[in-house]
Amino acid sequence: MGTYIIRRVLQMIPVLIGATFLIFVMVFALPGDPTDGKCGERPCSPAYIAEFKKEYNLNDNVFLRYAKYTGIWPTEQGGLLQGNLGKNYNGYKVVDDLKERYPTTAKLALVAIVFEVVIGIAAGVLTGVRKGGFLDNLVLVSTLVVISIPIFVIGALGQYFLGVKAGLFPVTVGSNPSFYELLLPGMVLGSLSIAYVSRLTRTNLVENLRADYVRTAIAKGLTRRRAVGVHALRNSLIPVVTFVGYDFGGLLGGAIVTERIFNIQGVGNYIYRGILNRDGMAVVGAVTVLVFVYLVVNLIVDLLYGVLDPRISHD
Amino acid sequence: MTTTTTRAAKKAVPESRYVPEDGLLLDVEDLHVEFHTADGIAKAINGVSFQLRQGETLAILGESGSGKSVTAQAIMGILDMPPAVIPEGKIRYCGQDLLTMDPEVRRKTRGPEISMIFQDALSSLNPVFPVGWQIAEMFRQHRELNKSDAMNEAVRLMERVQIPAARERVKAYPHQFSGGMRQRIMIAMAIALDPAVLIADEPTTALDVTVQAQIMALLEELQEERKMGLILITHDLGVVADVADRIAVMYAGRLVETADILPLYASPAHPYTRGLLESIPRLDQKGQTLAAIGGLPPNLMRIPQGCAFNPRCRMAQDICRQDRPELREIVSGRFSACHFAEEVIDA
Ligand SMILES: Nc1ncnc2c1ncn2[C@@H]1O[C@H](COP(=O)(O)OP(=O)(O)O)[C@@H](O)[C@H]1O
Ligand code: SF4
Ligand SMILES: [Mg+2]
Repeated sequence: MGTYIIRRVLQMIPVLIGATFLIFVMVFALPGDPTDGKCGERPCSPAYIAEFKKEYNLNDNVFLRYAKYTGIWPTEQGGLLQGNLGKNYNGYKVVDDLKERYPTTAKLALVAIVFEVVIGIAAGVLTGVRKGGFLDNLVLVSTLVVISIPIFVIGALGQYFLGVKAGLFPVTVGSNPSFYELLLPGMVLGSLSIAYVSRLTRTNLVENLRADYVRTAIAKGLTRRRAVGVHALRNSLIPVVTFVGYDFGGLLGGAIVTERIFNIQGVGNYIYRGILNRDGMAVVGAVTVLVFVYLVVNLIVDLLYGVLDPRISHD
Repeated sequence: MTTTTTRAAKKAVPESRYVPEDGLLLDVEDLHVEFHTADGIAKAINGVSFQLRQGETLAILGESGSGKSVTAQAIMGILDMPPAVIPEGKIRYCGQDLLTMDPEVRRKTRGPEISMIFQDALSSLNPVFPVGWQIAEMFRQHRELNKSDAMNEAVRLMERVQIPAARERVKAYPHQFSGGMRQRIMIAMAIALDPAVLIADEPTTALDVTVQAQIMALLEELQEERKMGLILITHDLGVVADVADRIAVMYAGRLVETADILPLYASPAHPYTRGLLESIPRLDQKGQTLAAIGGLPPNLMRIPQGCAFNPRCRMAQDICRQDRPELREIVSGRFSACHFAEEVIDA
């Protein structure tokens, strides 16, 4: 177990380096000049541009810049390895920007996950125990519909009907939003995964209901409720929990589309605006953190899998 | 020691309402089971009757597919219905018909009154719960014992079925045990509430020979200790010969011969039984067609007219293709469903 964790953590290093390098190269390959629009209506003065380029190492080639950014090439302020995410092109520290926005993204992810788990598993169980019934077909059709509609359409529809028309939820979300404000966006964000979770739960439950150990549970004189709800469900939820865990890791990476639609000031929106403004430092910094979070969550999920399924050993 | 504690635990709840009359525990009468599938109706059980008494060991013998497990599952009440349908028959336990009993009342008989162990202990135990937990669940659900008392009972049962270091292994998972130890755990679970009837459906088929013998010895010991009625299902006569009192031979969902074990061994009264005895089971062809009989069991959707065995029977005559032979007493205590049973028994 201990060696497994160490191995996994060591494996993260090349993944992190590779991922940040790729995003670094791509972001700085974007056309456009980061100093555009920095000085109001007029173009910036050559002196300002020179200073700006020096400040952000824009005169170096991409490898040297990456080396300086990561801190492999020593600089006085230090790089990633020293825990420094650098400054964005407005001169603010990226780490402060993220500190401000990350709680919102995490909250949104949490709301989406709760929806996914509660509604997805409930739908999966209800349809799994009554395979082929009316509810089963209803859920099957609605999950197909949800899966086939792009999220920006679901978002826009949800915003219009539930927000504008019915007035049940706020249409947009302020900074530092409450959980209530995030309900609608969370539902939209989780809608696709609700569909997957319910299908996954149903499929696994139907399969496990036929398992020998469920027959044993009935033969033990347990109620059907217990045989299904404890014995079959416990096994059926192993892949579901794993899926939800990975999904949570992904959602913590921000949801650009959903955050845009509801104007949520989260990490997704931050990255979006970073790309628009050619703010390479903001984008690379944010993505690096997200990749790291994703890897950590993945590791936790894999460890959890071993706890949920005693047959898996992490030796 | 095990028995005393189990008995003591039982005292806490109202005494069971099931009292066998003259030692008669189970009385199965004209049982029919069908499976209604998309392809048609498979008639798996076609009029099976037998009785089981206290302290008696009844072996049910037959090829794979003859309906042994379906019979056991019908008695246990664990058939999936649908597709299974029981159009006819009675299964009386201590005089009460299980088939017409209130489902909730019947559920409570599973475990304390009638219990079952299965062929494949690995798949029959839940892979994600510790074995002790699974045994303790019997006490938690039926006796409402608290966690630690139930766990102590589980340890005692594991000791009773001779699992080494039971107290240390009570938290281990099924996959951490050998096949024989897993089957012992199944047995511990099945006898936990001191049932009057224990059904063992091919309990040793998945095990190697030396372990088979140990498991059979354990079952025999427990049966004597607790005066259980034991139904031993097998396709391998060799396994049960030492243990069983009576044998019922099954073919295409009917009993074709029932007898005490020794006379049946000495001179079978049905051509099918004789075929089974002649085909000495060999390890390398477990579950395969029995060489001495030849052919295959019938398709249960189209069971042959007359005697179901007639396409495979060397003695078959015209009458065998028209009239179905009923189970009848040939000599005292010996029943056979063959038109020529007297000739077979004398041969
Ligand atoms: N769920 C089911 N659906 C359809 N047919 C079944 C089902 N269960 C058992 N059967 C049929 O009933 C017959 C008897 O099966 P079984 O009692 O398991 O035989 P065995 O004597 O080997 O234990 C078999 O032919 C099998 O195909
Ligand atoms: S009744 Fe006829 S076919 Fe059937 S077992 Fe006897 S002899 Fe064979
Ligand atoms: Mg069977």
